Amino acid sequence: MHEHIKQRIETIINNLDQLPSIPEVASKLINMVNDPNVSFKLIAEEISKDQAMTTNLLKLCNSAYFSKGKEISSVDRAIVTLGLKEVKDIVMVVATKPVLDRFVIGYDLAKGDLWTHGIVVGNMGKNIAMKIGQKMIADVVFTGGIIHNVGKVVLALFVQSTYKEILAAVETQQCTFSEAEKEIMGYNHQEVGERILAKWEFPPVLKSIVRYYQNPEGAPKEHIKEVSIVHLANVLSLMAGIGVGSDGLFHQINGKALEVTGLTEADLEELFSRVPETIKQVRELI
Amino acid sequence: MNQTLINVGVAQVKTGANPAVIRTILGSCIGICIFDRAKKIGGLAHILLPNDTSGGVNPEKYADTAIPLLVNRLIKEGAKKEFMSAKIAGGASMFKFQANVSLGQIGDRNIEESKKSLEKLGIKLLEEDVGGNAGRVIDFFLTDGHLKVKASGQEKMYYKV
Repeated sequence: MHEHIKQRIETIINNLDQLPSIPEVASKLINMVNDPNVSFKLIAEEISKDQAMTTNLLKLCNSAYFSKGKEISSVDRAIVTLGLKEVKDIVMVVATKPVLDRFVIGYDLAKGDLWTHGIVVGNMGKNIAMKIGQKMIADVVFTGGIIHNVGKVVLALFVQSTYKEILAAVETQQCTFSEAEKEIMGYNHQEVGERILAKWEFPPVLKSIVRYYQNPEGAPKEHIKEVSIVHLANVLSLMAGIGVGSDGLFHQINGKALEVTGLTEADLEELFSRVPETIKQVRELI
Repeated sequence: MNQTLINVGVAQVKTGANPAVIRTILGSCIGICIFDRAKKIGGLAHILLPNDTSGGVNPEKYADTAIPLLVNRLIKEGAKKEFMSAKIAGGASMFKFQANVSLGQIGDRNIEESKKSLEKLGIKLLEEDVGGNAGRVIDFFLTDGHLKVKASGQEKMYYKV
């Protein structure tokens, strides 16, 4: 392991200023929607304080992906028409796009690749949640799917300089790319991602998704369903070549995730075969 | 050189002519590149699965329907079968999967079916860069039909046409 790289990563993750930021309203909102004592009115007020957020939110509310048919022209109407969870989902899309929609060196992802991958995984996760009768977690896996590999943004430069060693570790030790990241740099992108979410004050379930999406069996029991769904959606997306970078397919398909979700082999293949349709569905968001 | 870049998405078939470059990104999917050396036109099919189960609704998705589709499209554009040759790339697998997860083998099944479909059509497969666990970015140059495969940070060139 490179001790100096580990230390440099530590300096970054311990210094909030050096981690990616999102608009404050996003952090507030994601916690407000879980508080039964918070009124719609208060949430609408909070969003409206951020003019750029409001503009982008309304634009997406009227996109084919989120629209319910009626033209929406105010935050109040958005909440009433689409519901709080949907509005929160849209705010997360707007808030995280600038963080993820960029060229990621080291992982060899062109501008747009990481973002498209996140949106496809989020949407596929949502579809899986619906399919297995878990509608109430559809919003969480949507957001979790979008941001699951946010840590790559921070680790990119370090992966760039150690890529050959990471790949060599994968081959000699027969471990996954993420395990090799930790071996060579002292941290993997899931751990770094979890720290970014801590900065953003995101709830524990999203932190679990980011931290354990590669190995769902490690997740806290109360979050294992959400984590397993994102795990499977990520695997399917990579296999279809969506957001596949220099870490390739040096990852695992975890059998536990199938068990937890109750999805069969045939379901998985069916989901895989529908990746092109999924991409069409989210075209406006990417 | 003033080259046009044609991007091909999952389950798409696209064709072009000299000096265009056709690009796609592959995981377990296969990119089948066919070039007519006389006419200098070619095309790429990016298939997701081996065999059509949709009853022809989505021919571009499957090896056994997308490859004939690509060949017919090239013939319509003036290519001749006797001048066509093929290269394939992709078909990677996840690094680790339990034996009971058959989706893990989809890459291998895609490779096999792509070869079978080309053979059935009598199109010679000249080069292949398949299998393994790496993702691939491939560029198919219609200037002379050569193929550049970028995987795990390294580039390989395939020149036979």
